[in-house]
Formats: sequence, structure tokens, C-alpha cells
Amino acid sequence: MAAAAATAATKGNGGGGGRAGAGEAGGARKKKGPGPLATAYLVIYNVVMTAGWLVIAVGLVRAYLAKGSYHSLYYSIEKPLKFFQTGALLEILHCAVGIVPSSVVLTSFQVMSRVFLIWAVTHSVKEVQSEDSVLLFVIAWTITEIIRYSFYTFSLLNHLPYLIKWARYTLFIVLYPMGVSGELLTIYAALPFVRQAGLYSISLPNKYNFSFDYYAFLILIMISYIPSPHHPFPFS
Amino acid sequence: LFVFNSPPSRPAVVSAGSPVPGTVSGARSQRTLVEILDAKTREKLCFLDKVEPHATIAEIKNLFTKTHPQWYPARQSLRLDPKGKSLKDEDVLQKLPVGTTATLYFRDLGAQISWVTVFLTEYAGPLFIYLLFYFRVPFIYGHKYDFTSSRHTVVHLACICHSFHYIKRLLETLFVHRFSHGTMPLRNIFKNCTYYWGFAAWMAYYINHPLYTPPTYGAQQVKLALAIFVICQLGNFSIHMALRDLRPAGSKTRKIPYPTKNPFTWLFLLVSCPNYTYEVGSWIGFAIMTQCLPVALFSLVGFTQMTIWAKGKHRSYLKEFRDYPPLRMPIIPFLL
Repeated sequence: MAAAAATAATKGNGGGGGRAGAGEAGGARKKKGPGPLATAYLVIYNVVMTAGWLVIAVGLVRAYLAKGSYHSLYYSIEKPLKFFQTGALLEILHCAVGIVPSSVVLTSFQVMSRVFLIWAVTHSVKEVQSEDSVLLFVIAWTITEIIRYSFYTFSLLNHLPYLIKWARYTLFIVLYPMGVSGELLTIYAALPFVRQAGLYSISLPNKYNFSFDYYAFLILIMISYIPSPHHPFPFS
Repeated sequence: LFVFNSPPSRPAVVSAGSPVPGTVSGARSQRTLVEILDAKTREKLCFLDKVEPHATIAEIKNLFTKTHPQWYPARQSLRLDPKGKSLKDEDVLQKLPVGTTATLYFRDLGAQISWVTVFLTEYAGPLFIYLLFYFRVPFIYGHKYDFTSSRHTVVHLACICHSFHYIKRLLETLFVHRFSHGTMPLRNIFKNCTYYWGFAAWMAYYINHPLYTPPTYGAQQVKLALAIFVICQLGNFSIHMALRDLRPAGSKTRKIPYPTKNPFTWLFLLVSCPNYTYEVGSWIGFAIMTQCLPVALFSLVGFTQMTIWAKGKHRSYLKEFRDYPPLRMPIIPFLL
């Protein structure tokens, strides 16, 4: 999974120049960039996303200053977080349609893991919303996404400031472990409540002869965070 | 026909000096020099001097293996262009667009495994695994259920159907199918076995579970489903036999399949790959019979994969045969 880092290192949403560095693997050899209409749309998309995550960043700071503590800040940015993170599903479409030269499979994997954490864990298990681990991944994602979307915006306009490129590949070193920790701790915190409520689980007997244990599923998800040759660390 | 051997780290060379391409002596020379280069590095791997022009690619592959024994013919891909399509074993050197010196580019396809081996392994697994669940072998269900038997008739019927299906597949692999390719990449066996064995275990777990719930519409539903299953199994077998008869033993010829006297083959009028159509039908029948969601999911995944294969096959039929019947769809009559 590694939602935080994965999106930091992906080359998705980029345009013509300035798309160098880790995660470039394959893709851009002889490909023409997106046409002018697609480029305009992508610039707008990336600008809107940058703005959205800035709103979340500002929201966090304001809530912190107002409350005087860093606990339970999730509630202040819950709506824009859900909106903008879910909006990233469009990126899958961008790859599928071909205006962004990334792998549909890879992008789906990354976006879905973020969306999963937002909706199937944090939203669904209300008791974890006040956990500090949530703040940990929200901060990691916010910084990562602001940098990532501005990186793409500038790349599309063929004017990528070195600072942004540097930030993207350097801050990753801190933001990735931070994000992964926040995500894992949040899932872990959700486990007892899932078990107790039998959340999203179905047991036998039933007329479709099927069962699903969400608790076990979450544990498998946690295990999948371990990098392996089959699902390596997201920057290659 | 000379092949000059050398240690594997250096290309096989004709002489210490630069190679002399197809020398013309007094009489016009009929023979060709074949040089084999690595497609990625362009490193010269081997020179074959005085190759008969009517030699086939298969023969050249055999010669290449002599100097590079780790690359047996099945893992060699030889092409005229480093990024082009692989040449076929049957292609004759003379008929290819080469001069007196033929330059072939080599790519290593990786370790290969025979199709027969893969099929036998991937089908024997589900047969065996399902039975482990059917007989309620210890450590699957609670200990009080060890080696007990279900009281539902449909569970026994399902076991017979599932086992029959895989026994049929094993026998077809051994006696019916005529494969175009001898081998496939080794990693496929792990991928394929995970798929077949994994799904078989998942389905079998629920169907043979002590808390299994029989179909809502009872015996009626089971009878209808069984009929669908049996018809589709017969259909699938008929198609396999028809396809086998299209191709003489040991050959790799390809012809348009047509309906025969067997009514099950009349589906060829409407689809290119009725074997896949019948296969999906069998699994739908099995899903209705067992009323088990994992079976339905397995059918869906299988259908998706077979549709991809059918579309590919349909496309190659259309490319190869000008007079291909226009009414035919790849897998579902009129639709898909």
C-alpha cells in the first residue's frame, strides 16, 4: 500500500518537460505530450488540487491555533480532506484515457489505497477519528500532495522550479515513513471496534454461502505494507 | 555446415581476423552466412558459416544451442529486426529478406516450461484440493466435523461435477489438445496455479462447509443447473474434438473451424471460440447449482479472461483469413 510515498514518487499527472527522477521507469520514450486541450484541463486540475490541499493545510493550522492543541484536528478538515482525496480518483481516468502517461494499474492501486483509508477506515470507524495517528498521515499527505500537484502544474507549463523538484524527492524521505506510520497506526486502532461491531463482515450460514471478515482483511492490508520483490518500495 | 565453437564469453568467430561474409568462389555459392547478434547489446554471439539456404529457423536454433547450451531452442527468439516479431521455427532462411549474410537478432525468452506440464499441474491441483474440503480433512473446519459427510445431495453432486470437470481437462490435455507452442515462460506456472488452486480452495471451502445453505429453489434449481452444466461440458468437449480434427498430428496448421455433424459444434456459426462460451456456461451452471457467491465470482473472472482471449483469437482469424464468416462474434453470439 504505502499510499503516502507511492503518490509522492509516481510520475502521474505530468506534462511535457521536467518529469525526471525516480518513478520514471519506461513510459516516456517517444510519446507526444497531451494535446493543448488536455494540457489546459490538466493544468486546471492540478491547480485546483494544489489549492484544495492548501485549504486543508491552512485548516489544520487554524484549528491548531484555535484549540491550542494538536489533538482531534481531523474534524476541522474532514470535509475538504474527503472531497479532495476522493477527487484524486479522476487521476485513474486520466491514465485510462491516455492524457497522463502513467500505468492505470499503478495509479488505481495508489489512489484506491488512499480512498480506502479515508472512507473504509477513518470515516467508518468513528472511534479512530480522534486518534493522533490520523493527524500523522493527514499532515504527511497534505505536504506531499501540495508539492506533488504543484510539481505537475509547473511541469505541464514547462517551467519546473528546482525547489519543487528537490522538495518532492527529498521530503519524501521523511513524509513517507510518517504517512505509513500514521496509516498503520490508524488501521491498528480501528481493529477492536471492527471486531466488536462486526463491521462490513458477513458470516455463515447465509443463502449465498459466502463469508467475509473485515477484521482479518484489515490485518492482511497491514501486512501488505511490507515491501517485497512482488510489491516493492514505491520508488525504483 | 560449419559451426565454430568458442568459450561462451566470446562470440564464435570464423577466424582470428575479421569474418569473411559469404565469399563468392568460382562457382556461384548457394550458401549463406548467418550471424546471430544479441538484440539488446548488438554483441556478436555466433557465426554460422555456409548455412544451407533451405535451412529452417528451427535448425538454426539447434546450431546456436551447440555454442550456447544454456539457451535451448525453446527459449530462443530470433528475429530480423531487434524490435521486430519473432521468426517462426518453420520459416525457411531462403524465403526471408536476407542477402548472402543473414543477420538475426537473439532475445532470451527466459526459462521455459512445456504447456502440457503447466496444464497438468494447474488442473490436478483443483481436483485434489476440492476433495480435501469435500472429505472434511482435519484443520479446515472445526474438529467435530472431521471426515464427516454433508447431508445435502447437492454437495455430493457438486463434488462429482467439479471433479468430472477437472478430470476431463486433464484427459483433454493428455489426449486431445494439439498445442501451437511447446512452451511458455516458467513464471506462468506460479501465476496460473495460484489462480486455479486458490479459487478451487475458496469455492470448496464454502460448498463443503457444515453451515452450507442449499439452493433457495431446491431440487428444481439443482436439476436446471445440472442440465446446463452437462450440456456445456458436452459442448466444450465437442469443440475441443472439432479443433483437434482441424489440425493433423504434429502440425501447426491453422484453418477456419466450421460446424460439423455434431449439433454442439453448430455454435461455430455464431462465435469464433465456442469452447470458451461453453466453459463460461458450465461455470454459470455450477454457480446456480451451488448458489455460492465465490463460484459466481470465479465464473466472472474466468469470463473476463476468456473474453480477452476470444477477442484476440477472433482478431487473428480475421487477419489471417479474408473469407472469415462475418456473422461470428468472439465469444457471445451477437453481443461480444
